[in-house]
Amino acid sequence: MQDLQALTEAIKVGNRADATRITQEHIDAGTPARDILDALIAGMDDVGRRFKANEIFVPEVLIAARAMKESMERLEPLLVKEGIKPEFTAVIGTVQGDLHDIGKNLVAMMWRGANIGVIDLGTNVQPDKFVQAVQEHGAKLVGLSALLTTTMPAMQTTIDAIRSAGLGDVKVVIGGAPVTQDFADRIGADGYAPDAATAVEVAKKVVAV
Amino acid sequence: MTPDELKAAVRTRPRLVDGAMGTQLMARGLPSGACGELWNVEHPDRVAAIHRDYCQAGCDWIITNTFGGSSASLERHGLADRAAELNRAAARLAREALDDHVVVLGDIGPFGGFLEPYGEMAPERLLEVFSEQAAALAEGGADAFIIETMADTRELQIAVQAARQAGNKAVIATYAFDKSADGSLRTMMGTTVDEAIATAIEAGADMVGANCGTSLSLDDYVQLAEQLVAAAGQTPVILEPNAGAPQNVDGQLVYPATPEAMAEIVPRLLAAGVRAIGGCCGTTPDHLRAMRDALDRYISALEPS
Repeated sequence: MQDLQALTEAIKVGNRADATRITQEHIDAGTPARDILDALIAGMDDVGRRFKANEIFVPEVLIAARAMKESMERLEPLLVKEGIKPEFTAVIGTVQGDLHDIGKNLVAMMWRGANIGVIDLGTNVQPDKFVQAVQEHGAKLVGLSALLTTTMPAMQTTIDAIRSAGLGDVKVVIGGAPVTQDFADRIGADGYAPDAATAVEVAKKVVAV
Repeated sequence: MTPDELKAAVRTRPRLVDGAMGTQLMARGLPSGACGELWNVEHPDRVAAIHRDYCQAGCDWIITNTFGGSSASLERHGLADRAAELNRAAARLAREALDDHVVVLGDIGPFGGFLEPYGEMAPERLLEVFSEQAAALAEGGADAFIIETMADTRELQIAVQAARQAGNKAVIATYAFDKSADGSLRTMMGTTVDEAIATAIEAGADMVGANCGTSLSLDDYVQLAEQLVAAAGQTPVILEPNAGAPQNVDGQLVYPATPEAMAEIVPRLLAAGVRAIGGCCGTTPDHLRAMRDALDRYISALEPS
């Protein structure tokens, strides 16, 4: 059986055959689920770091994320059995009026890869749907995506809806090609992520785990 | 417009392509998030009015309202089964609205996802999707094709192949480039300008270049133009810049470049060797009118008096 370092390496290069095989071998051998999970997270963490530095690009992230996802599917029953939960739950979606989802999907992948639970509401999501989902899933974080400058006002509307719904301490992180830190500050977002890798750091920072 | 006719046209003089469509549709009442392509049958008069506005601004080439018109893209609106109808109608309304000397380019945009193995779309299936769109655009009377905002070289190749099969019409192919951490211009998939352009030419595109892009300044577009021309060799180059990089103005993100600012880069793009210039996000008929004047001034300055 290959060690957990090999599992991390398999995620880093997006080798899903190796990743799922090594995951299964460790499950069968009785390796604690937490250790397997940490090896997977370490792989995605490295992918995120290299993506942010533009050493790798979207294709490599997608391949790694798929290896991660398939390994997590194997690991899921064991995580449940051992009572290991995501660090917290986040709700994500592309705001009302915008049907673009590539960026949003990348952030969802990276968050899942960092053991953040993700409820993906899809695209063209109305503000009240975000509010409902936060209540239903007890989410601590909301991620808002938009590609079009014309749909940016919907980010403000959604943030306002979340703030006025009295949901407690829920944070909002925004992103999308035209979005800037300045804009995020202006509309009262808790964080801004220029790319999917940074979205992990920002999520953890604003939720303060 | 056959491939030879396109080459002759841009050799004679640089051409002006039109500007943004989506924001023009919204200005005429298209709700945010609604399907703009549906207006090709529901409000053809309004789409035709936009085409005429760009035409009156001095554009030589007008692009059909079909950027999201592939069945794969229309699927998001539950309209996949109307792809042929909407594309045919778009080309027809543009052709009927415009004088004969204006060229109608049938627009093909990205399907909105990833090809295998990164996503779920099989190449064979995507060829069917783009072939249906290209055939409908040709049937409606499009004179040539423009494949825009591509990030994946394979997707662009498939779209070029589909357009090629729709008749002896010129095929223009453009990518969206972003600036990466080291300053190099690459597509979202990480492909450099050299690689991307080489692939487009190899696929059989008659004119190659770029449109849109994430947060590129007008100066970045001039730099991009130089790289495109160097990469394209003998193949003519097209560039449709955004009106600068979006900026926060009073809580709204806006494309900041004025018509005058866009006009100022026209001679720089032409000097770099670009042979067709248009506008992408944030541009309006006013931008294109200013660009027309700049283009004409550039040409007359070159002509012997």
